[in-house]
Amino acid sequence: MAIIEAHGIRKSYGSLLALHDVDLAVEEGEILALIGPSGSGKSTLLRVLDLIEPANEGELSIFGIDVVAERGRWLDLRRRMGMLFQRPIVFNASVYDNVAMGLRYRRASGDEIDRRVNEALEAVGLSRYTRSRATDLSGGEQQRVALSRVLVTDPEVLFLDEPTANLDPTSTATIEEIVMRLNREAGMTVLISTHDLAQGQRLAHRVGVMIEGTIAQTGPSSDVFRAPKDRRIARFVGVQNIIPGRVVSRTEGLTTVEAGGRQILSATPPPADKVEIVIRGEDVSLHRREPMHEEAENLFPAMLTRIEPAAPFVNVTVHCGCDLVALVTARRADALGLREGVGVWISLQAKAVHLIPLTGH
Amino acid sequence: MVNGNPIVEGFIEAIELIIALDPQVVEITIRSLYVSLTATFFAALIALPLGALIYFYEFRGKHAVVSTLQTLYALPTVIVGLVMFLFLSNIGPFGFLRLLYTPGGMIVTQTVLIIPLLMGLTVSALSGIDRDKRYTITALGASRLQTVMTIISEARFAVMAGVLLGFGRAIAEVGSVMIVGGNIRGATRVLTTAITLNTSMANYSLSIALGIILLSVALGVNLALSLVQRR
Amino acid sequence: MRTNTTLLTAGIIAVLLILALCAGCTGTAPDGNATPNATTAPPGGANVVRIATTTSLENTGLLAELERVYENETGVDLQFISQGTGQSIDSGRRGDVDLVLVHAPDLEQQFIDDGFGINPRCIAYNYFIIVGPESDPAGIANMSPVEAFQAIYTAGTNQTAGVAFVSRGDNSGTHNQEKVLWEEAGYDYEADVLDAGAWYVEAGKGMGDTLILANEQQAYTLSDEGTYLSFADRLDLVPVVAEGAELLNRYSAIAVNPEQHAEVNAEGAADFINWLTSDETKEMIGEFGTEEFGKPLFTPLYAPECTEPPFNCTCAEPVPT
Repeated sequence: MAIIEAHGIRKSYGSLLALHDVDLAVEEGEILALIGPSGSGKSTLLRVLDLIEPANEGELSIFGIDVVAERGRWLDLRRRMGMLFQRPIVFNASVYDNVAMGLRYRRASGDEIDRRVNEALEAVGLSRYTRSRATDLSGGEQQRVALSRVLVTDPEVLFLDEPTANLDPTSTATIEEIVMRLNREAGMTVLISTHDLAQGQRLAHRVGVMIEGTIAQTGPSSDVFRAPKDRRIARFVGVQNIIPGRVVSRTEGLTTVEAGGRQILSATPPPADKVEIVIRGEDVSLHRREPMHEEAENLFPAMLTRIEPAAPFVNVTVHCGCDLVALVTARRADALGLREGVGVWISLQAKAVHLIPLTGH
Repeated sequence: MVNGNPIVEGFIEAIELIIALDPQVVEITIRSLYVSLTATFFAALIALPLGALIYFYEFRGKHAVVSTLQTLYALPTVIVGLVMFLFLSNIGPFGFLRLLYTPGGMIVTQTVLIIPLLMGLTVSALSGIDRDKRYTITALGASRLQTVMTIISEARFAVMAGVLLGFGRAIAEVGSVMIVGGNIRGATRVLTTAITLNTSMANYSLSIALGIILLSVALGVNLALSLVQRR
Repeated sequence: MRTNTTLLTAGIIAVLLILALCAGCTGTAPDGNATPNATTAPPGGANVVRIATTTSLENTGLLAELERVYENETGVDLQFISQGTGQSIDSGRRGDVDLVLVHAPDLEQQFIDDGFGINPRCIAYNYFIIVGPESDPAGIANMSPVEAFQAIYTAGTNQTAGVAFVSRGDNSGTHNQEKVLWEEAGYDYEADVLDAGAWYVEAGKGMGDTLILANEQQAYTLSDEGTYLSFADRLDLVPVVAEGAELLNRYSAIAVNPEQHAEVNAEGAADFINWLTSDETKEMIGEFGTEEFGKPLFTPLYAPECTEPPFNCTCAEPVPT
């Protein structure tokens, strides 16, 4: 059952359009990561979904309740959810009082507050700071205070807005671990926004890519990474090669595309006549000699024109009618004796060649 | 000058007056504190809720109201004195209150004088609570009232700093209390007006003694201010 | 935030306690001399008499002495607001005070003619004096007051070195007297004197301040004798012209007419005027300053002398209460 369903959400601040045409369904118990560049509207969308601020237009239902029609129930609904923000936010009070805030708003009894706050602080490893002033803690500790302040209220849905963007790797790992455990053990639904692709892949069952105020693509992270729907998504998920081309023919489940005088086979059905070929650098294999038993559908010679270190890999640019960038480990680049000006052979599986329609730019 | 250096002598006598707790010095000091503390108390009572109201409610012309308040920070005290004098004088609209030339009138005047300052500083103090904090409060499930209370509580040190500044302005000003209070010995004479009068009577030692006390009060306020701001 | 709320509450209670304490302190201070039945009266009520008066009286210290004695005798709280004579009379016109104690016969007469002042009683007099630097750069010693003013004017407009005149410039009784002298010397005050040049300085302040200013600039000024004597030990200035009927300085008390302002404390004002005109009080006024300055600052007026020129005023008849 979808715990959150949004259709056609639009939100603007004055003349600035922050969200438009957002459609999203979040299933109960899943971890959904919103990825996208800064300023793409991830934070705004989370605030709209957490009922912190209203959308200007669109339909939104949360826990099966139409929240556009029922403004009066927002406070109750909001109290069933929780949100952690990017910047560690603590209030000028003791750690205990910070964590107790949500429970006090819900008018929990003193005993219950005491029990749950102490439990929550135990869980994030901050028990010894209970009486300290929260503003005196380090950034990582403050974020853990903020997290336990949210968790102590037992939210059914947890929103995390770039929760680890400002943190050191250890604090990041702690927070990721807690979130994954809560999802696994308590079935908590989690929406996390991040611009860190790896974090999205690590945590989420499903990712949604936000580009310029709308969700451009949702699906399992492998889909989004290998088969981005358009050029902007492809760029954001880090595809090195986006090459314009023309569909020549379609036979036996393979599409032939011509680019720079070279014919390339792709497993993607042709989306249009004029296309762009999307190839991830790590899918391009380099060889010094023509491979004998290569099963890849595409195999052709090329000239190596540039080598750029990108530790622990090197970006190797080759020319074979069109420029192609391959991602090779530094060790393998050494073993192959790669240097500028040498001739190489390239092999590329048709499955690794993704096609998107050519857009105006 | 005929009798040696009046400044040095005045200073020595001033110290003696303070150490001996000269009844006149004590009385004027206590009255000054009483008038300005009471004025600050009432001004806070009025200005803090009004400032909070301005901050929490969106309305047309809000920006204009806030910048008007900020302009009024620099309101010349004699102007306030003149206006309050005209209001409180027997022929003025509030003459029937018989507050002119009374400590009550001075309290009202200082209250009016510092209300814009306290309101403006309250708005700034609350505005100092950043957007993310407000989002956090909302996200934690605070009702409208709980949100207001949390924001006020979070801004309490900044608000207190504003109140202290207001008190400092009230106790240090001379223009309006001179006009409205009339500087009556034993009734409306406060530190600043007593210094003015005694200087005009060439009674430097008393002036210096009262000046030292006024300076100490101002110093105390600043000390409290820096303590508060360090929180 | 429980701990902080507690702290905050404690702080507020502490402030309230301090306020209450201060209210207690000052509450007793002004009432210290009052009789028990009087303390319950509202402020501005029967136990308080407000008097607008001149800075020249306040600066001599006479008022403080009168206040001390009267409050001891009657328990009435006398409140003196010292302003210029013009401003004092205006306070009376508005009914902001119960009586005025001033020294400008022309302004007083108008105050009475307009129906705002009643029961005028002259109390005492002394003389205005023209004080100036001992070197007397305008050479006015032994001149009559009018001649002296003419000499100062001529020297001033001719830019004679060291000649300057400091005026009160505050529409006070002394300032008024100065204007009269300029007119008698043949000048139009507004047209001829005000913009006569840098030598004519307007202080816009009380008598004491004006004397101190004149002393700093080594200039001539017109002062009442009382204030000059009480400031003499801090001044290098000397009396240059001290004789002449034009320099007479008469102080009068005038009650504010309760028919114009019903709220004024007419009874308290009448009582105080009657006390001022009593022989014991006049005796006290006549002795005031002898100890400190070697000679009295004021000469009290007695009947029938006061009814004759140059005084022409009432000084003995009790005011009906």
